[in-house]
Amino acid sequence: MPEIYLSLLDRILTPVLLMLAVVFLLAGHNAPGGGFIAGLVVATAFLMQILARGDQFVRRLIGTYLQPAMGVGLLIAVFSALLGIGHYGVFFQGIWWKISLGDFVLELGSPTTFDIGVFMVVSAFVTSYLLELSRPAERANK
Amino acid sequence: MLIQLLALLAVTAPALWLLKPHRWRHAGWLAAIAPAVVTGWLLSQLGAVSQGNAVSEQHIWSQALGLALDLRLDGLSLFFGLIIAGMGTAIAVYAGYYFERSSSLGYFYGLLFLFMTSMLGLVWADNLLALFVFWEGTSITSYLLISFKLSDNNALEGARRALVVTGLGALAMLGGFVLLGQMAGTYSISGLLALPASTFTSHALFAPMLGLVLLGAFTKSAQFPFHFWLPGAMAAPTPASAYLHSATMVKAGVYLLARLHPALAENPLWFWALFVVGGLTMLTGALIALRHYDLKAILAYATVSQLGVLVMLLAFDSKLAAVAAVVGTLAHALYKGPLFMVAGIVDHATGTRDIRKLAGLARKLPLLGAAAILAAISMAGLIPAFGFLAKELLLENFFALIESGLSQIGWAGLAATVAAGALAVAYSLTIVWEAFLRRKAELKPAKIEHPPSTLFVLPVLALTLVGAAIPFFLTSIEGTLFAAPVASITAAPAELHLALWHGWTPIFLTSLLAIALGGLIFTLRGKLHKLFASGPQLSGTGVFDGVVEGAYRLAGWSTRTLQGSSFPTQISIPLLAAAGVVIYAFSINLVADLRVDWNALPTFYEVVLPLLAVLATLVIARAQSRLSAIISLGLVGVVVLLIYVFFSAPDLALTQFLVEVLTLVLLVLVFYRIPNHAYPKQPKHRSLKYLLISAAVAVWGFGMALVAAGEPLFPLISDFFLLNSVDAAHGGNVVNVILVDFRGFDTLGEISVMVVAALGGYALLRASRMRPIEPEEDFEEPYDA
Repeated sequence: MPEIYLSLLDRILTPVLLMLAVVFLLAGHNAPGGGFIAGLVVATAFLMQILARGDQFVRRLIGTYLQPAMGVGLLIAVFSALLGIGHYGVFFQGIWWKISLGDFVLELGSPTTFDIGVFMVVSAFVTSYLLELSRPAERANK
Repeated sequence: MLIQLLALLAVTAPALWLLKPHRWRHAGWLAAIAPAVVTGWLLSQLGAVSQGNAVSEQHIWSQALGLALDLRLDGLSLFFGLIIAGMGTAIAVYAGYYFERSSSLGYFYGLLFLFMTSMLGLVWADNLLALFVFWEGTSITSYLLISFKLSDNNALEGARRALVVTGLGALAMLGGFVLLGQMAGTYSISGLLALPASTFTSHALFAPMLGLVLLGAFTKSAQFPFHFWLPGAMAAPTPASAYLHSATMVKAGVYLLARLHPALAENPLWFWALFVVGGLTMLTGALIALRHYDLKAILAYATVSQLGVLVMLLAFDSKLAAVAAVVGTLAHALYKGPLFMVAGIVDHATGTRDIRKLAGLARKLPLLGAAAILAAISMAGLIPAFGFLAKELLLENFFALIESGLSQIGWAGLAATVAAGALAVAYSLTIVWEAFLRRKAELKPAKIEHPPSTLFVLPVLALTLVGAAIPFFLTSIEGTLFAAPVASITAAPAELHLALWHGWTPIFLTSLLAIALGGLIFTLRGKLHKLFASGPQLSGTGVFDGVVEGAYRLAGWSTRTLQGSSFPTQISIPLLAAAGVVIYAFSINLVADLRVDWNALPTFYEVVLPLLAVLATLVIARAQSRLSAIISLGLVGVVVLLIYVFFSAPDLALTQFLVEVLTLVLLVLVFYRIPNHAYPKQPKHRSLKYLLISAAVAVWGFGMALVAAGEPLFPLISDFFLLNSVDAAHGGNVVNVILVDFRGFDTLGEISVMVVAALGGYALLRASRMRPIEPEEDFEEPYDA
């Protein structure tokens, strides 16, 4: 179901949405955002692609990565939770590192990596459902 | 040392499995090493323990929960431990020859040794909860051993029955243990027994506690009316039947009763429960035993009867009864175990256990015949066998009761004992005569196709000879072997004077009377068989199966009723239930407690936005096509989103927005697949019904919102989050900090669920494209027995 005006729009919107997702993901600890929201934004970006270019296009692009992404995301989340055990002997204890980039100080912690895991699971989960449901009925029954 | 021995047995289990013992001809002797070591060590402790020096060990398990693996070896646990380890040694050797190169031998040994570990742990545990864990261990290994032959449906059903009955009993028992622990303030058994008995017997909750504990003991020891699982358990391989279902596991209930005897026996409830149940079990077991032709079935019911005797004896709070119970336990293990093993060898040699097809085995297999006859003499209680001693003590107990003035109980017990004793004589004679001595079988006789080797019979003979020898060494062993467990049961030092021959006392004459009656029943057995076969089948199996079937039917009915109908009906049930709860709560007094300022004026948004939502909802209800309904639903979502915006919750608003967009598209995609028929016109009464349900749900939602907005019922946690979000979690966005830090565990669980749901949904959505998997043609049975 490719649509001509959508395929024009998606050239502008998709990069914006994906960048927005990164911002949401990294800034989410202090400002509105977070892994869950970022994941939904990414899914929205792919939804746009599906509507504009058809599900086959998106499937070829990322289809094979979706399920691995879910698994890797879960592993990252578990690993971030386990980091606390390694350092403090407490499951889920947050660990923080400060990275100075000139004047800019980036605070990176195990909650951030945990959020990245959440982000991967959510984005891949929603996208995979969108892909499966948008498969045209005649092809789905083959 | 105790824990090391348990570990040794536990390690032996997988080790033997990995060694593939069926490749070796005499693997049984290798397997017997571990239990022989345990037996040897226990024998070496006999002297010290009988002096009253119990061995105690503590291994911390979970400090925070106050759980420790306390092990304690006193007279009673040593006595039971000796039976378990000693019998285990003989069974290990026996099983090696019984399975004879069958590849399942390793699996059998694995289960057998795991069982042995659990059983020894059970009798050595000094903590009620640890005892429970080991108790369950014996149930599970017993289940696996009964269902050993996976291809046999009877075995699977028998195993399931045994597991459900003993498992339910064990759960009840756990409840009883918790009550017991609460009364005593400790779960330590020795600590609990050190308290005065009145702590328990005069406690308000004594009766429910006792009921629960007894339920556990009675189901495990196959007491009436739970006795039916034991004969069903005979589908297990014979070594397991001989070991678990006659000598050891079924005695776990007896052990528990003996263990708790000092604390609980003073209350008359204890006496009546054990006396009545034990007596009934003794009689029913002995009666049913006469009805069967299968050697193992006869022995199984005889076991039920003997377990009834032991339970009945523990009802009394006297030294004499305790002595009778201890002697009876050992005597039973030493004759019933070998008899089961004999049945296994007969089955092995001839291919049948039906006594109608057997005859004259004693001449063809003299060693086996000798063992069987010796053991059967003990079972019948003929002088000078060990069983005779046990029966004398039992009778003596009742005579003592009659003399002490409790004549009604004494006479009732005496009559029941004589009856059960006579029946025991009858079935013992039947087995010996029909299978081993007579010349001609009733039916077409079975041939001995596979004579057993001498080494196969050796463990049977050894056990029987130990049993036969004990009565002649009574004076030298009674002080060490019997006095200590008796002292544990009565909680007082015991001095014993056992003897086989007391002269022509009334007890001996009664014993003779029982034997004579037994002989009479034996001669009439053909007629009795016919009588029983035509009589009503007194069997719990049917009741049990009926209960299970009923549970299935109830589940089916409730599923069909609650979830089988249309989707609107399905969701109305939980919604109405929730609405009902809230309406009920408001109807009591909650409205008065709400602190709502009814005079405050709503703002402009608070009026406009809800009105918009109501309007959109009306459109949904009246929509003619799905698309317009979905779009109106989206409008409701947008209203919620705007409410979040106006009440400054940007995170929620963002999420709501994204979710709204995605669900809108998802709904369109889903409905795109469903054939686009117009909505069928609803009949009037159904519309009215849905309207009423919706109104109830509205009341529910409104009520919840009112309560949430009113005075908080509990101290709020949000203050903690707000205070600690930046300092402790380095984050200014409290919502996100809660998600990834404070409540990170929840989030981890949620994303795990997501992944599982994704896999499930993926499979479901693809299912339409998959062909059904056809079964492979060369499908082999997973297991060859």
